[in-house]
Amino acid sequence: MTDSTAARHDWASPEFSAHLRKRKRSEFMLKSLGIGAISIAFGALALLIGSLVSTGYPAFTQTHLVVEAEIDRDLMDPENPRDGNFRQLARDIVTNRVVLGADTDNTDRLTDILSNRAQFTLRDMVEANPDLIGETVEVRLPVADNYDQLHKGMLDRDTPEEIRRLSDREIEIFDQLVEGGFVAKPFNWALFANADSRFPEVAGLKGAIIGSAYALLVCFLLSFPVGIGAAIYLEEFAPKNRISDLIEININNLAAVPSVVFGLLGLAVFIGWFGMPRSVPFVGGMTLALMTLPTIIIATRAAIKSVPPSIREAALGVGASKQQVVFGHVLPLAMPGILTGTIIGLAQALGETAPLLLIGMNAFITSAPGTPFDSSTALPTQIFIWADSPERGFVSRTSAAILVLLTFLITMNAIAIFLRQKFQRKW
Amino acid sequence: MYDVTRPEAELDPSEIKFAARKVQVFYGADQAIKDVDIDIQDKTVTSFIGPSGCGKSTFLRCLNRMNDTIDICRIEGEIKLDGQDIYARSVDPVQLRAKVGMVFQKPNPFPKSIYDNVAYGPKIHGMARKKADLDEVVETALRDAGLWGEVKDRLDTPGTGLSGGQQQRLCIARAVATRPEVLLMDEPCSALDPIATAQIEELIDKLRAQYSVVIVTHSMQQAGRISQKTAFFHLGNLVEYGDTDTIFTNPQDPRTESYITGRIG
Repeated sequence: MTDSTAARHDWASPEFSAHLRKRKRSEFMLKSLGIGAISIAFGALALLIGSLVSTGYPAFTQTHLVVEAEIDRDLMDPENPRDGNFRQLARDIVTNRVVLGADTDNTDRLTDILSNRAQFTLRDMVEANPDLIGETVEVRLPVADNYDQLHKGMLDRDTPEEIRRLSDREIEIFDQLVEGGFVAKPFNWALFANADSRFPEVAGLKGAIIGSAYALLVCFLLSFPVGIGAAIYLEEFAPKNRISDLIEININNLAAVPSVVFGLLGLAVFIGWFGMPRSVPFVGGMTLALMTLPTIIIATRAAIKSVPPSIREAALGVGASKQQVVFGHVLPLAMPGILTGTIIGLAQALGETAPLLLIGMNAFITSAPGTPFDSSTALPTQIFIWADSPERGFVSRTSAAILVLLTFLITMNAIAIFLRQKFQRKW
Repeated sequence: MYDVTRPEAELDPSEIKFAARKVQVFYGADQAIKDVDIDIQDKTVTSFIGPSGCGKSTFLRCLNRMNDTIDICRIEGEIKLDGQDIYARSVDPVQLRAKVGMVFQKPNPFPKSIYDNVAYGPKIHGMARKKADLDEVVETALRDAGLWGEVKDRLDTPGTGLSGGQQQRLCIARAVATRPEVLLMDEPCSALDPIATAQIEELIDKLRAQYSVVIVTHSMQQAGRISQKTAFFHLGNLVEYGDTDTIFTNPQDPRTESYITGRIG
């Protein structure tokens, strides 16, 4: 036995307390750094959301002219209401509500208060219900972008007239309408009910949302079964040799390939080689599937790997075949991980812009697609188009569209979390 | 080396369940089992003892071809179950494992109900067509495993919610539900407390009436308490095999004696 008293450590020595203080200090530093990092991340997120909301919120309302108006029988033929003079009807609706001064020379400009598309809103209304002809009904018409901006307070009245987008006279006429109680600013359902338009006051995301939904559906239907099948084969059945190693390395590399490359591949193969139409969600979905596939394979393999070997052994031990082990035990236990990986992959695909630009999904298309084979845009490409447009109204609409896209992404991630919680089983 | 062929003469060959000859197991380039010859008797508890890494678990897993699932594992030699070579091409490991049940070191019930855990084997082998038959199979298996009284009112609760000892008995019930002829147990009590261990040991003694039980254990006391035959493995060799009493009181090989008396291990 050694002499224990001689070797005993002095736990109260100043050296020891100094050392202890040093350790505590470095621990405190590490903790502060961590908190600092998280604060920076949260700050950046708050800044992003804050700036999007502050620029995007005006787009969620739209200035409307709400008036009782007679659908003038003289301007149209009840047998063929489609060919009626709705432009004149729109002009009458405005002129009837304002007191025009002496200089009524330029009544044409009065129609500019209403959106260029207002005549078509009227036309659609009458066409849907020809009995309205000759009646006096309440009509709600979107006003043009400049007046919308004015009403939302985004057009500075103090700007000198010559560089302002509306003249004093125009502002005066619009103010008359406001005073008459003919102007309302309801929630902008058109943002979701309309497809794209050159006129920001009637432009909406319907085409983009449906286009994205179709593309994601195609992407899911292709990449989910193929991805899971590939992952099961590689993880459970493939022999472990050089070839399977090579395949694994290549799948990992594919996941890191820039998305624009997949876009080029889609352009060359699907459109160039297979002769598929451009700008359609079906091709978009296939291109996105190429990109999502490696993500799903990697997530599925990781989920399969994380199933404890004891469960496999238990099933094999009672005489289950390999296939029974995989489908009866491994896959159900791996499901939460697989679903999470898939949804994250799809969320990534939903936000992907570059490959869709290359296959032409940034085209200007004013109707929502009826099938995955009709031309359309997608949410990210719609944002891209709107961000490029010069009209003032598109500034807030771009931010609004980003908020809509982010809402979809957050919803998808929430579903991923929900599925994980729901299917999680303990062993 | 101790002559393992000698006790064979004293056995009635019809009672021999497993007959292994010149079994060699390799993991890649490493040899884990060297030239093992052993005859395992029916309706007997046989213990495999030996220091860690001596190959006793590896050899046990050869008996129901569980080692097939390890890619780098290679087996040579011959193992016969009831006179038939289990490594013959005509033998399906899936069928073999139904005949040779296995209980693992760590209790590993499926994350399913108690009922489904026990019913799984009979279901996949098509042993019970009707629900009533299946109910009976489950009840018998749980009774055999001494668990019926404790779980009969909560068969639909998850098997993973049971205590460690109960989980292990559930695993035994799952293994016996397919009516195997041999039950392999790989250190079934190492994760259990003494009371649960005592229950399992009692159970093993009862199972001997119907099955041939082969158990790997780290505890020499356990081997002494429950087994009639004991095999001592050391560095991949089967050093000594014989009646448990003989091995513990009168070992023939100095290595066995060193291990029994605690000098190596």
